[in-house]
Amino acid sequence: MGFGDYPKEYNPSVHGRYDPSVYYGPKDTAFGDVKLSDLGSWLSRRKYSPPAITAAISRAWWRWQMKYVQPKRTGMAPLYHLLIGAMTFSYAINYKRIKNHRHRKYH
Amino acid sequence: MSRFMIHKGQLTAFSYFRPQMFSTNLLVTKKSIRPEYPSPVRHGFVPEKWCTVFYPKTGVTGPYIFATGLSAYLLSKEIYVIDHDFYNGVSLIILFIVLHKKYGADFAKFLDKHIDAYENNLESSKKDKIKEFQELIEHEKKEQWRTEGQKMIIDIKKDNINLQLEAAYRARLSSVYEAVKGRLDYQVQLQKIERKLAQKYMVQWIVENVKKAFTPEQEKIVLSRSISDLQKLVSEI
Repeated sequence: MGFGDYPKEYNPSVHGRYDPSVYYGPKDTAFGDVKLSDLGSWLSRRKYSPPAITAAISRAWWRWQMKYVQPKRTGMAPLYHLLIGAMTFSYAINYKRIKNHRHRKYH
Repeated sequence: MSRFMIHKGQLTAFSYFRPQMFSTNLLVTKKSIRPEYPSPVRHGFVPEKWCTVFYPKTGVTGPYIFATGLSAYLLSKEIYVIDHDFYNGVSLIILFIVLHKKYGADFAKFLDKHIDAYENNLESSKKDKIKEFQELIEHEKKEQWRTEGQKMIIDIKKDNINLQLEAAYRARLSSVYEAVKGRLDYQVQLQKIERKLAQKYMVQWIVENVKKAFTPEQEKIVLSRSISDLQKLVSEI
């Protein structure tokens, strides 16, 4: 699988039109349905290779887009999401500096 | 904000893509579905699902309790530090809320109008194209029907040519007949003339020979005999 290729599991004759937000591989239990005791084995079944991680992030990005950005009559939510994300990110990278402004020494 | 409240009831966005859709019903998968309304959110940005996930355990106040607890934790441990920027943030949030409440609905209406116009434009151009192609198909069918007529015309033309060929054949036949008849007539005339001439010369020859054979006495006898015959005839009259 090179750059710009479809995932190996995607088969147009079976799956129809390609949806970039869908994982076409074998299905596992959804993360929300996993019992805490099964979490270890569930995590061990995931793939952690760089391409797999990239694909997962790409799918998540598309899923978010299809939910909030692409709908015909979408609202301000996606912009607020990006804003909050940017704020959190900038807070995190500046945390070392911000920490000096604490009012109390002990919490 | 009111927009998001209206959209909350719409569950269509949730059913947008489910992996099982792709394996169970191929017909559905052939169409990619672009939802009309976004996934419902609370307070403008919090996904509805993040709130409803608390309901089975905590009831409807769960998400708010969680948010309050989390912020209390972050503030008390000073993970989130109330520094000078915090007040900037608060004023900005107030500004956003006011703008959202005051102009959100009108702006949404304005954008909806435009997106509807855009979509209607696309839709009408699509319909026009379909109509155009349907007319082309009709035209093509009519042309095919006309070509059927051409077949009939070709048949008629063939008949016509056959008739012409027949006429030419007959004309030639008759001309041959005329030519042969003329030649035969000529032969007949020739034979008649030849026979006439032969007869004429035969008679002349016979008369000459007979005249030659006559002696003067015989001539006299015949003359006198003829004169007496004439006299007899005269007397009889």
